[in-house]
Amino acid sequence: MADETGRDWVRQYAREHVVHLVVVALLGLYPFFYDAITHSIVGAEATTVLPQMETMVAVFYFGLFAMSFDFISGYTGYLSFGHAIFYGTGAYFVVLVSNGKIPLLGAGTPFMVSLVLAGLLAVVIALLVGSISFRLSGVYFAMITLGVSQVAYVFIRGWDFVSSNPKDGAAVVGHPTGFNIGVPWVDSLNLAIGPLVGDELSLAWIHLGTTQVSYYLVGLVVLACYLVMQRLIHSPFGKVMVAIRENEERAEAVGYEPYRYKLAAFAVSGFFAAIAGGLFAGFRRSVAPENSMYFLVTGDALLSSIIGGFGTLAGPLYGRLFDETLREFLSKEGAGGGLLPYLQGHVPGGVMDAVIYNGLTVGEAINTFLNGHASLYIGVVFVVFVLYVPGGLLGTIRGRAGGPLAKRVGRLLGGDGE
Amino acid sequence: MILPLLADALGQFFRPDTLVNVFVDGLSKAAIYAMIALGLTLVFGLLGVLNFAHGSLTMIGAYLGGLVMVLVVGSATGDVARLAAFFFALVFVFAALAALGGLMEVGLIRELYDRPPVYQILLTFGLTLILDELTRIAVTFYGLQPVAKWQDALGTKPAFMATSVHVGGVDLSPLSLFEIALGAVVVLGVWLFLTRTRYGLVIRAGSEDDEMTAALGIDVHRVFTVVFALGSGLAGIAGVLLMWDQVWGASLPLAQQTLLPAFVVVIVGGLGTFRGTVVAALLVGMVDATMTWWFQNAVSFAGLPQMMIFLVLVVTLVVRPQGLFGIAEVGDH
Amino acid sequence: MSLLELDSVHTYYGDSHVLEGVSLTVEEGETVALMGRNGVGKTTTLRSILQLTPPSEGSITYRGEELVGRETHEVAGSGVGWIPEERRVFAQLSVEENVRIAVPEGADVDAALELAWDAFPDLADIPERNAGALSGGQQQMLAIARGLVGNNDLLLVDEPSEGLAPLIVEEVRDALARAAEDTTILLVEQNLPMALDLADRFYVVDHGSVVDSGDADEVDADSDRLTRYLSA
Repeated sequence: MADETGRDWVRQYAREHVVHLVVVALLGLYPFFYDAITHSIVGAEATTVLPQMETMVAVFYFGLFAMSFDFISGYTGYLSFGHAIFYGTGAYFVVLVSNGKIPLLGAGTPFMVSLVLAGLLAVVIALLVGSISFRLSGVYFAMITLGVSQVAYVFIRGWDFVSSNPKDGAAVVGHPTGFNIGVPWVDSLNLAIGPLVGDELSLAWIHLGTTQVSYYLVGLVVLACYLVMQRLIHSPFGKVMVAIRENEERAEAVGYEPYRYKLAAFAVSGFFAAIAGGLFAGFRRSVAPENSMYFLVTGDALLSSIIGGFGTLAGPLYGRLFDETLREFLSKEGAGGGLLPYLQGHVPGGVMDAVIYNGLTVGEAINTFLNGHASLYIGVVFVVFVLYVPGGLLGTIRGRAGGPLAKRVGRLLGGDGE
Repeated sequence: MILPLLADALGQFFRPDTLVNVFVDGLSKAAIYAMIALGLTLVFGLLGVLNFAHGSLTMIGAYLGGLVMVLVVGSATGDVARLAAFFFALVFVFAALAALGGLMEVGLIRELYDRPPVYQILLTFGLTLILDELTRIAVTFYGLQPVAKWQDALGTKPAFMATSVHVGGVDLSPLSLFEIALGAVVVLGVWLFLTRTRYGLVIRAGSEDDEMTAALGIDVHRVFTVVFALGSGLAGIAGVLLMWDQVWGASLPLAQQTLLPAFVVVIVGGLGTFRGTVVAALLVGMVDATMTWWFQNAVSFAGLPQMMIFLVLVVTLVVRPQGLFGIAEVGDH
Repeated sequence: MSLLELDSVHTYYGDSHVLEGVSLTVEEGETVALMGRNGVGKTTTLRSILQLTPPSEGSITYRGEELVGRETHEVAGSGVGWIPEERRVFAQLSVEENVRIAVPEGADVDAALELAWDAFPDLADIPERNAGALSGGQQQMLAIARGLVGNNDLLLVDEPSEGLAPLIVEEVRDALARAAEDTTILLVEQNLPMALDLADRFYVVDHGSVVDSGDADEVDADSDRLTRYLSA
């Protein structure tokens, strides 16, 4: 009997998570797909359009940050405009630990341990910030969190404990090998991340380069975090969060204490935001105030959430994928491919030099209006989405399907759903 | 070991000439903050929209003003002519930015009145991205460095502003005095508009209770457009002033450099109240000037003024969320 | 043609179906009282007329013109005045400014002020005082003054006596009686004696629809006909 119910549970879980499995499978195959297609006959075009491995790693860790932002802002309705403080805390903590600057934690502390500790530190900060902020709501809540995170930004920018030039941030020194993701203290179950210093991996006929290894490792951590957040959202706790968003007074009247739930949700979101920051710093091996604590970092999470779908949890990841793909496509350096090198390599010089207007050639026009200016088009997409596609990409798909995709597909496949 | 240093610094601070300098500096900063924040407060008061694009509008005003000045002023242009050109730039930029703001409101923001207020914040945030990037494109196209302050524009200042003026034993900067004067004029102008014209009356009533205002037969939505245009115009002329100030200067980052303090001033003063904005601008200006002195003379922490300004915001929101003069209606506007 | 006519009006407030088919008429020159317990939809009826809470079904005509679907300021501009619950004077504006803003654009402001000061000499003494500093009774007078200067043929008056001391209520009653001399009034009022004193006719509302109506002199404040619907 026990055996049967065990199997039933697994079957049920699999049915409900078919969509997740498909997405994970697709993402899992992507590096091989990318490798194959960029060396194929349509290689040049593929390189132009598809995001490269390094970009995808960034999509993962920033996507986690954006998802954590959605966890609090999308589900409870409280816009955490200061969310960068958690991301920055995670990033700086990891770097400082590895530089031996944190008392009680030596430079050899396993990365995984640092991540968890960073997350716990973020929980403490979240509880402190939340205790003063959740008395307010709406614009006021957004502003007080923004104010607090800006205080942190200015502080970390000037605190010379962090590095000799805190304005530029801090880099990982004295940790020549990449940070390890895996089981702490068990060497054989760990692999290092980092585009240069990470590990390579050879399994049978498959050879994974350093960035590809990082892709899988970071992706795994992000997946695990996502699944935890997803479980919480679909639990009674998550239902209360949504109730708070829909009508906080009614939720209180029914007997819940919104303040506690808000604090808890905020702490959870901070925890995972810090993990995202730690992954970022672990991969990039450096951190600066502008790319971790500044309010525009939260702005990027907001962008990803709106485009991907506010209140969908997975949406922000897709939103970030869209954002990074477009940025790589229009990047000025043409680092991962992109429009510029493709045009330079494949469009006849005559076309590029053709003059459109007043001495402005096609090539110059593309350089002026397209390349390096992905922000403009992302901004336009964002505005269009705010006006006409309020559910974002995933939200709109869910709207058509009638509910979270995992559940809908699960139901279709014959289970009873939840 | 710290105490003697602290005592020393205090002694230096409390000398008359230091205090006067800090006071004048504080007033000029207050004038700037008031000009930056007034437009934001009018818009929030009436429309309930926290316009994230406000800083971008100031930045565009700075560049446009700089453009006018750079085109009109030559190295031989006299001081009086330069001042005249400046005032022309003020009028031109006000009109241009007001038109831009009006268009934004009619074309985009209006669509969101029926939705929860968060959408308006999101929309203005998206607009800021678009405006900033378009400006970056225009600026780099004409060969300017977007991140650096526009030196040529800074150079169009009248010659007399380059040297300090000696008044009653203290050295004062003419630019500071000019900023104080201009700020006072703008504040006075807006005050007169609000209290002496029917439009101003409607704006004040609508800021308090737009439902009741509509029930008195007034088309509040049309007023929204005018106020948004007005707020944008004010943001623009603040930018024109900043184009001449070495500390700020016309540059892409000016958008965020002005937006955040504007938020602080508007919220500390009380969202949407004119009086609150002016008083808060004075407070923030004085805090900024005082902390700048302390940074320059005693405490070696570069972010001290900025940090104190944000702390003022946080403390205000904890102790008195409605701001100094706001009405105690905490929560969603 | 009635001045105001509501026909099977349904209105929602959020998810709540507050008006479930309200029908009533108001003839020019009369004062009609709208009575009922708290929460039955009396205020919502007034708000529906003004399109502040637009009806989802039904029709509201004023001088024969359909109001449903129009903008609030258009309805107000065609001569419908609102003296809402809790007065809602503009606290940050002065007494005089509160009256001024109610004067339609293009109308003679000075004449309007004269009218207001004549009707409410107490207010005429304190034109510069902030409306937020006034007593409840003074605010009520101010709200009525706003209704008077607004070129209104129909006044929607909501709970004018609420929260006021009996002596002040008397003054409010007198002010409304004077207003009723040249304006039509639709009055929502829990104070039954006052309502019946001022009104020519009445409607009783219960659970979002009209359940009884009649002439004001048919009933007393303690008639069974009313108390069955009105006691808490």
